[in-house]
Parts: sequence; structure tokens; C-alpha cells
Amino acid sequence: MNVELDIGAREDVPTWLVYGTPVFTVLAALAVSSVALVALDVSPVAAYSVMFVETLTSEFGLTETTVKAIPLVLTGLAVYLPLRAGLWNIGAEGQLILGGLAGTWIGLNVSAPGYALLVAMFLGAGVAGAFWAAVPAWLRAKYDINEIITTLLLTFVALNLKNYLIRGPMQGGAGTFPQTEQFSGAATIPSLFGNVHAGLLVALLMVAVAYVLVTQTRLGFEVTFVGSNPEAATQAGISRYKVYILVFVIGGLFAGFAGIGEIAGVQGRFRADFEPGYGFTAIVIALLGRNGALKVLLAGFFFALLIVGGSSMEVALGVPAALTEVIQALVILFLITAEFFKRYSVSLRVDRDPGTSPATRTGSDA
Amino acid sequence: MTEEPFLRMEDIVKEFPGVVANDHVDFSVRRGEIHGLLGENGAGKSTLMKILYGLYSQDGGDIYLDGERLELASPQNAIDAGVGMVHQHFMLIPKLTVAENIVLGDREPAAAFASDGGSDGRLPDSLRTNPVVQALAQRFSLGLEAPESRIHDLAGQYGFDVDVGAKVWQLDVGQQQRVEILKALYRDVDLIILDEPTAVLTPTEAEQLFESLQQLADEGLSIIFITHKLQEVEAITDRVTVLREGKKVGTVPTADITQADLAEMMVGREVLFSLEKDPVEIGDPVLRARGLRAENERGIEALSGVDLTVREGEIVGIAGVSGNGQTELAEAIAGLRDLTAGEIVVEGIDLTGASPRAFVDNDVSFVPEDRLRYGCAADLSVMHNATMKDFRNGQFGDGQFLDYPGLREYAETLVEEFDVRGVHDVTDVEAGELSGGNLQKLILAREIHREPDLLVANQPTRGVDVGAIEFIRESLLAQRTEGTGVVLISEDLDEIMDLSDRVLVIYEGEFVHETVPEEADRGRVGLEMTGGSGEDGVEASAEAAAGAGEAR
Repeated sequence: MNVELDIGAREDVPTWLVYGTPVFTVLAALAVSSVALVALDVSPVAAYSVMFVETLTSEFGLTETTVKAIPLVLTGLAVYLPLRAGLWNIGAEGQLILGGLAGTWIGLNVSAPGYALLVAMFLGAGVAGAFWAAVPAWLRAKYDINEIITTLLLTFVALNLKNYLIRGPMQGGAGTFPQTEQFSGAATIPSLFGNVHAGLLVALLMVAVAYVLVTQTRLGFEVTFVGSNPEAATQAGISRYKVYILVFVIGGLFAGFAGIGEIAGVQGRFRADFEPGYGFTAIVIALLGRNGALKVLLAGFFFALLIVGGSSMEVALGVPAALTEVIQALVILFLITAEFFKRYSVSLRVDRDPGTSPATRTGSDA
Repeated sequence: MTEEPFLRMEDIVKEFPGVVANDHVDFSVRRGEIHGLLGENGAGKSTLMKILYGLYSQDGGDIYLDGERLELASPQNAIDAGVGMVHQHFMLIPKLTVAENIVLGDREPAAAFASDGGSDGRLPDSLRTNPVVQALAQRFSLGLEAPESRIHDLAGQYGFDVDVGAKVWQLDVGQQQRVEILKALYRDVDLIILDEPTAVLTPTEAEQLFESLQQLADEGLSIIFITHKLQEVEAITDRVTVLREGKKVGTVPTADITQADLAEMMVGREVLFSLEKDPVEIGDPVLRARGLRAENERGIEALSGVDLTVREGEIVGIAGVSGNGQTELAEAIAGLRDLTAGEIVVEGIDLTGASPRAFVDNDVSFVPEDRLRYGCAADLSVMHNATMKDFRNGQFGDGQFLDYPGLREYAETLVEEFDVRGVHDVTDVEAGELSGGNLQKLILAREIHREPDLLVANQPTRGVDVGAIEFIRESLLAQRTEGTGVVLISEDLDEIMDLSDRVLVIYEGEFVHETVPEEADRGRVGLEMTGGSGEDGVEASAEAAAGAGEAR
């Protein structure tokens, strides 16, 4: 018997596949994860119904998911925009922390009427995040220093700066806990509905900004071109320097917003152990959503759902925390694999011809 | 001749979604024959050859080599069967040396582990011949001494000037091609497929290659020669097979057919070979470059003090062997390469040291040599690529916002006016999906439609099919009539002679000879291109000496 495996690039991706793949892959990932659940004596049906159905149908679940999605979408955009220009912002976490610190300082030390204080806090946070991102961008644009390394390392600088500031100069409140003073009412982001704070509006607005920037403006055209072929872009007179700096500055701004949104909207004060990891999850979000800002929004919400649903499952069924992370990782892995099947068709052919030896044929016609 | 063909491909069918690339094609090659394979881009030549080389598997049909049926699952099978291929797009690893690239996949263990005696005594024999050590050495050691000397001999034998120790990225396109040819020769194949091998060679080098190929054929090697150039078919092949739209038009002995007939078989209509050059009044200088000096990627001086003046309505042709500073010159006058000395003035504006943007804004257009690397963004749409320079233009909205419907319309106009085929929707089709000729037409359309004052075209017709070449050359002449100053850099001497008003020969970064096509002595020009010391020995140097006075 002769089994042949043929892998070829697809000319056109059928529509059902475009919309079907994410659904199929998530289902496949859950199917694989259920093996682990069964091994732990937990019914996969119960587990998944807690994880998804209850999270999506209860008010608590929806609220939590939305609140979690705010920083995830914003940091997702912070990675997405440089990615459009072919650059990797691995340090959105550091930009988020720095934004949070700057915003917190303004919230605690400045007094302004009405919502002006909140606006000032967001602005300060954005500028701080943008500054933190501008450094690696400048190093990359001017000296061609790899931005993956510089952004990542600056994250550790930011984390240690935070540890020093919150335990030192910015420490406040009752006792000597490593945290700042509690925010006043004016410095707290008001709630929009239920427990969802108005940071959601900022996140949605920034999605719109990123969308318009990329698809409607001259800068967006330049960003897309530099991201696709920097050498051709230079030949066309597009300044790589300008594009690199701008995507990082705007990305850092988004990450800074994420930081202050989380502090002033959820935490109420800056604690020294604040290290949410949103900036790292954002890399996967941006990868999944790299085709557009709206997809970043969707991917952000999806990851918020995975995180919130995962912790509900942990609490409700006593599933170890590590397992929910396994499920999240499997979903990511399957989604990335699915990209391959979207682009290539695989056909399996079985010949009943005993005369010839088995052969595996591969070939792509990109 | 009634002898059994060496290679037979029978009734080959290969379909891609929406296209039949090979539609029941029969193809056969005799032993020791140089067989031309002719056809426009997209005619199915490459597909047929990729099937023969095991890169694609056919949907139908059989391949027989020397009477045996071949099952080709990969290029390795093809190489083992004795089929080698030199690709049009180089398959080299830039960071490795020439020798490393050539032995890639066919590595020999380090000399110290060589199994066949002759050891230099660095290792005791007992250890050296130990099977485990042998197996490890086979897998993990790399011996380059023996291959290097073999490559060196091969290079000498076929007249290739290649430094085996150089890294591939340091070589120019012409030299890289030679490495590709050496790679196939190194593997002792019986049949070698050359996909447009002369596209990057000068006439002299091409002749050398032809001599080498003839030598190989005389030794019994069969050669399939894919080309667009009809005169090459005449010059080198014994028989020629013409493909059109996936079907075989016919196989004919080259001696029995004229170039015009071949062109008609290939295109399906008559092709004009002579270009009408209208007299044009030559105006004021658009480009004045003085004492240009620039370095190449390796930091070695590639331009050594070049003066170049181009006037309105003038085509200045620059002839030379690849790697003599043409790329650096083109990039320097298009504002892409930093100068170490000299000045560039365009339309009276000093642009020395200005940014590429300033050159674009001052109406300098550039058609780069490497279309995919510098000329376009292959994975962006035709619309993006068509508007890559003009998107700044006020007609697409002022301020920060861009009028995308306007860009689309503009791109559609260019596609239509310049007959760019294969574009059903400018926003959907990516530039990289276009064939070489159509992509080049798109790039030319973009550069010309801006109504430039100066157009720098580096190898505009390389690797482009006959129909597109005709179109591109006519477009360049039309620019001349419009009063644009054109710098045409080409390694195709016929192209230079047909189009230029003035011809400059570049050698080792300097202009060594200037002439006009009407008075040019082709032998002399060819000689100057190679530094005046051709292979013809006495006769050549006498000629060079006679012309030395006026040349330098």
C-alpha cells in the first residue's frame, strides 16, 4: 500500500475555513486538554461549562472578563503597532509599569478639578510609557540595535525601578506596607456599569485610533511599507527612522494607558508586587491580531476570557492553577498551527499498489 | 538522428488551482545535446523543469532518463539520478563561503578523517578507520581542502573567476550565478538544467560560458537551456522546444529556423525587433555628477571618481561587466548610497548628501536592479506598490489622511496603461504574485508616471520575457522623447547600442571608454568592458593599445 502526503500552498482560502479555523482549533485544544482533566478526575464538560458558559452568562464573569480585557487590548495594541512596521515590542510590560508609576505619582501629588486629574494621569502615564519605548526605538533606528533585546531588558529595569520607588520615595498609607497611598475619589476611574471602569472607553478609543492610523493615514501607509520591505521603503523616500520612532512611541503610549487604567481603575493604589504580565500575554494577542486593530480587540477579549474562566474553574472544581495555564497554552499552540492549515492544503492519498515503495511527497508552490 | 533520446518526458500534466501550467507536454533531450527551452514568462518552462528536478510532482505523465522511469520525490532524487539545475533565483546562503555553498548537502569529512589513506598523520590510523569515528566524522566534520581545490580546478576549467573563500553576500549577482553553475558541475550530473544562465553575464562571459557548455556537451553531458534570448538559442542550442500557455508549440532543429519564426512561435504573433528612435533635441543637463566616489558593501571603493552628465532627452547607456561599480553608481545617483567624495546636482539643485526622499521629491526616478529586494514590497498589494512614491502627492488628500479610493484608481490606471497582466483587483493581488515581466512593467509604470526629470534604470529588462522587453524599451524611448534624462545601465550590449544616444563603458569603478552607438566598435567596447585584456592575446592587446590614446 502506498500512502502519499501532499502539502501545497492554497491559492485561495475558502471563506468557511477563514471563519471556521478559530472555532475548530479552540475545540481541538479543549479536546486535548480534556485528557488532562479526565486524568485528574474532573469532568471536562463541567470544567468547560464553568470556564466558558458560566463566565459568559454570569454578570460577574462578563464584568471580570471585560475588566481584564482593558489592559490586554491596550498592551496588545502596543505590540501590534510596531509589529506592523516589522519590529518586536517585547517590553510592553515595562512600558505599562512605567506608565502606572507616572500616573500614580500625578494622581497622588497633583490636584485638579473634576476629571482633569484623570486626564492628567492618563497623559502622564502615556508620556512615560512612550518615553520608555522610545529609547529602544531610537537605538534601533539610529544604531540598528536589536529592539527585541533592548525592550525586554528595559522591562527588568522598569520592574526594579518600581520596586525601589514603591518601597522608597512613593511608599505611603498606613503602616510600612510596600505600597502607595490609596487614591482619592478624584484620582479613581469612575465605573461605567457594574464593576467595569471607564478605562474600557479608552481601550475602545485606542483601538479606533490604531485602526484609523494604520488603514487611513499616510503614516499608516509608511508603517505598512516599512514593515513589508524596509529597503524598498527607503528607496521610495520613506524615513525608516521616523516610522520606527513613531510606532514605538505610540505603542508605548498605549501600554502606559494600560498601566494607569489598571492601577486607577482596579487596584486603587500601586502595590510593589504589581507585575500583571499583561505585556507578555500581549505578544500573543498581537500575533493573533496582527492583521488589524479590530482583531487585536477580539484576541484581547478572548485571552481575558481564558484567564477569568480559568480561575473560575480553579476555584469551582479545585483544578490546579497550572492546568488552566496548560489549557491556555494549548489554545495558543493550536491557533498558531491553524494558521498553517489556512495557508496550505494537505491531502492524504492511499494507493493500493503493492509494486512501488512508500513515498512521502512534499512540495510547496508558494 | 534516430538514437534513443536520453531524457524523455511524456504527456506531462501539472495543474495549479485555476491554471494548467503544463498541458500534456512531451519533451525529449538527446545525449550530448544542448536543448533550448523557450517561452514567455508563465508559459510553463519553469514548472516543467521543476518537475524534472523533483521540486514538483506531476499530476500525470512519466519521466524516463536513459530508458529508466524516474520517480522524483525530491531534488535529491533528481541529483542522484544525474539531473542538476541552476535556478534563476539563486539558491545560495549569503553568510556561507563559496566553497561551503557548493558542498552543501554533499559535504566531505575533514581531511584528518579521510578514509582513503593519504592521511597527514595527525590521527593514528586505528582511530581514523574506526567505524564510529568515521560515522561521526561523516556527520559532523567539514573538510574543505579537497573540495576547494576541486572547485578551483572546475572554475579554472570553465573560465569562472570566483574566489572560493569569499562569502556569497560579498559577491555580485553575476558571480553568484557562476557559483550556482559550479554547484551543479561539482555534483557530476549527466544532465544540467540552466534557467536563464546568461541573464547576468556580459557578452564576453556568455561566450565563455557557451564554450564551456559546448565542451561539456562534447563530453556527453546533456544540457537544457532555458532562455528568453533568441540569439542565444541560435548561438548555442542544437534543438529548441517552444512552449506557450502550458502547451508545447513544437521542437525544431535550431539550424532550420529563424529568430523571427521562433519569436512568433513563442508569442503567437509577430514581434518587432527594430526600435524606432525619433530624433530628439537634447536640452540642458538634468544631472551633473562630479568625481563620485563610493564604497561597496564590503567597504572597498567601488566608484573611483566618476563624472557623469545627462541632458534632457538623452539616454546615456552604461555598459560593463557586472560588479564594476554599476550598482553603486545607480544607487549613488538615485540618492541611496552615501558618497565618500564628489557632488551630485539635479536640475541645478545640489543634492550631494541629501536623503533618498529629497531625490524622490526632486523628480529622480529609479528602477533598481533587484526588483524584489528594492523595487517593491512583494507581500503588499499592487495598489501599495503602484503608489509607493506618489502616496505623498497632494492629489491623494492633504494633511495626514490618505485617499485610498484615489490610490486604488491611480493604481488601476497604471495597470491599464502599462498593460500589467495578472491583476484582477489591485488591492487583492500582491506584487510578488506577478511574473517578472509584469512586475517590472508595474515598477516602470510607477517611476515613469511621475514624469521624472531623471530616470535611472539598472538592468530594466533582465529576466523579462520578449513581449515585456519590447514594451519596456519603447517606454524608455518614449521618456527620451518627453525630455527626460535617462541613465540606462545594462549588461546587454545590444540593448545599450539600440537605445542609447551616448555609451560609456565602466570598468573597476571608472569610465574607461566613451562612444556613440553609430560609431561604436563592438569588439572594442567588449574589450574595454573587460579591462582591455581579453583572451585573444596579441591581437586584443594590440587593439587595446591602438585605442588607448582616445580612451583614457
